[in-house]
Amino acid sequence: MIRSSAVSLALGYVVLGLLALVLFAAPLWYAWEGTIRAGRVEILQADAQRLTDIYRRDGVDGLKNFIDARINMQIAGDRILLLTDASRRPLAGNLAAWPNVPAVPGDYRIQIDMGERGMQAALLHVASLGRYNLLVGRDNRLFAPLERRFWYGLTGAITVLFIAGLLIGLITRRALMSRVDSIRQTISAIIHGDLKHRLPTHLSDDELNTLSRIINGMLDQIELLVHGVRNVSNSIAHDLRTPLAELRSRLEELALIRPSSEETFVEIDGAVADVDRVIRIFDALLRLAEIDAGMRRSGFVAVDVADLASTAVEFYAPAAELKDIALTFHSNGPTTVAGDPVLLAQALSNLIDNALKFAPENGMIGVAVLRRADGAVQIAVADNGPGITDPEKTKVVERFYRGDASRGTPGVGLGLSLVQAVAKLHGSALELFDGTPGDGNRGLRVVLTIFPESAPGTPAGSGKAAAEPPSLPGVAATTS
Amino acid sequence: MKILLVEDNERVSQFVIKGLQEAGHTTDHAGNGRDGMFLAASEPYDVIIMDRMLPGDIDGLAIIEVLRKAGKSTPILILSALSEVDDRIRGLRSGGDDYLTKPFAFGELLARLDALHRRAHGVNHEIPLTVGNLHLDPMTRKVSRGDRQITLQPREFKLLEYLMRHADQVVTRTMLLENVWDYHFDPQTNVVDVHISKLRQKIDAEFERPLLRTVRNAGYMVTAAE
Repeated sequence: MIRSSAVSLALGYVVLGLLALVLFAAPLWYAWEGTIRAGRVEILQADAQRLTDIYRRDGVDGLKNFIDARINMQIAGDRILLLTDASRRPLAGNLAAWPNVPAVPGDYRIQIDMGERGMQAALLHVASLGRYNLLVGRDNRLFAPLERRFWYGLTGAITVLFIAGLLIGLITRRALMSRVDSIRQTISAIIHGDLKHRLPTHLSDDELNTLSRIINGMLDQIELLVHGVRNVSNSIAHDLRTPLAELRSRLEELALIRPSSEETFVEIDGAVADVDRVIRIFDALLRLAEIDAGMRRSGFVAVDVADLASTAVEFYAPAAELKDIALTFHSNGPTTVAGDPVLLAQALSNLIDNALKFAPENGMIGVAVLRRADGAVQIAVADNGPGITDPEKTKVVERFYRGDASRGTPGVGLGLSLVQAVAKLHGSALELFDGTPGDGNRGLRVVLTIFPESAPGTPAGSGKAAAEPPSLPGVAATTS
Repeated sequence: MKILLVEDNERVSQFVIKGLQEAGHTTDHAGNGRDGMFLAASEPYDVIIMDRMLPGDIDGLAIIEVLRKAGKSTPILILSALSEVDDRIRGLRSGGDDYLTKPFAFGELLARLDALHRRAHGVNHEIPLTVGNLHLDPMTRKVSRGDRQITLQPREFKLLEYLMRHADQVVTRTMLLENVWDYHFDPQTNVVDVHISKLRQKIDAEFERPLLRTVRNAGYMVTAAE
């Protein structure tokens, strides 16, 4: 239980409280001791002086009488008087014997047996009168209750403090434990594979709640990633399955039928093509993993993006021609950024390739590379194909998602994932917008903004800023 | 060509040696780095095929570095299962001349070996190229076939120039992507074929004998042979 942080915290506070109490009580005690005792000693000395005066004036018999009279008329029972001879035999006074103090003049504080009044703490003053010894004292009966009350009060305060501290510690512990327990239950459910669970949160902003919210955020991210990985595994499995299945049946058939050698060679060529497809999928995945690891940042050089884009446009121009698609390119002056030329070229090629896949016959594709006023370079590829619905827009940028429209199209299905990874490597965001709607088609405009090195943009922030990007002449011209 | 193959995988070695033999080349084989280093340093080869990862304490890149330091300029093609761009750059930086990732098509390997061999014999970028009656002048950038001038786009010119520099050799799609467009990735499309057929339209369409031929499962070849 000491291990419980709540209890040990409470105990810590108890110790702190005790310390404060002691700090408060100690000076009080010393003040009590100092002033009151000094006052009483003074009184005793004055008393002794008066008795000494009587002895000087009336002799030892006069003093004896005075003392007897004093004791007989004594009202308050706290006065101690004793006169003895040199051998400390009592001559007068209310003590039966000389107490356990030396017969040397001075002040003493001892426990003294007061006969029927029992043991009493007493303050004594011893004076020497020639051959006689005089003892004047006061017992502490008057002050004892006060003293007792002081100690009782202190002990009471300490006890209350201790018990309250312990109680509060235990209650806090219970409250904490119940919340920790609910967190533990949720987490163990998650450990057992059900990622749907979330930690309970309240409206308040206390520490545990804040922590729970953070953990929930993390769980959201993990669920997304796990979902992504599951998707990947599924799509890898699916993508590999098809060529592998074909390969298998091809080879099996070959072994079964044993056709003429010419046919056999055709089949073998087919088998090699199947294997090549499998290799291509693996290559794409490896590439993605490589970019994702961010290792290529070291290879950053000054790259003219417009140059890369015009090469890519030129590369795809014959393919666009075949589909009667108008593929245009537009740029405004130097668009040099720090980047990886190979990856940027691949990203551009993937974007144009995608647009070519989805743009209709006689469609339009506009590629624009523009330097914005703030120095950022914006790459935009727009087509007037079927586009992507808004809910799907966020998903296609997610890792490994295959849009419905992309099913059945050639390719590995990792095209946009790669573009997204390249964008991320360049500290940039990949954004998708509807193109200018033409003949009933939604169209798609993919925008990738690369910020100059001196002012790296945060993708999250820039997402808002570029939500409505300046109209891109090259794109607008081809999509309207 | 006399070729040295440094490769530890028995199956890959047999496949490559047999293929090279069929293509008319003689091949020496070393199964580990030590033998490879010894052969490469002592025998004259036209091209060396070097596996990157070898058993023992000497790996492919180390051999290449030693050979280059010793002044050997034999063209070297690095064979590797490491496909990352950085691995490729590291391989070329160590002194390799070309880089091919496993698994590879044999046609690709053969075409690259031919290209390496030819490059090693020096390329004069100023001498006009001729294949049959097709002429290309890199200086004036003029192309003609017979007595007819042919107008090519800059990229088409580059494509044809590359093909003609490797006349009578198979040139793969990947080689074209790398050398004509500087694309060191697989665009996963058949656009190269489209470019070739456009080029073919311009140089072959109206002539009886086609010069730009498709080599099945390998790539293309410009040749005047029958």
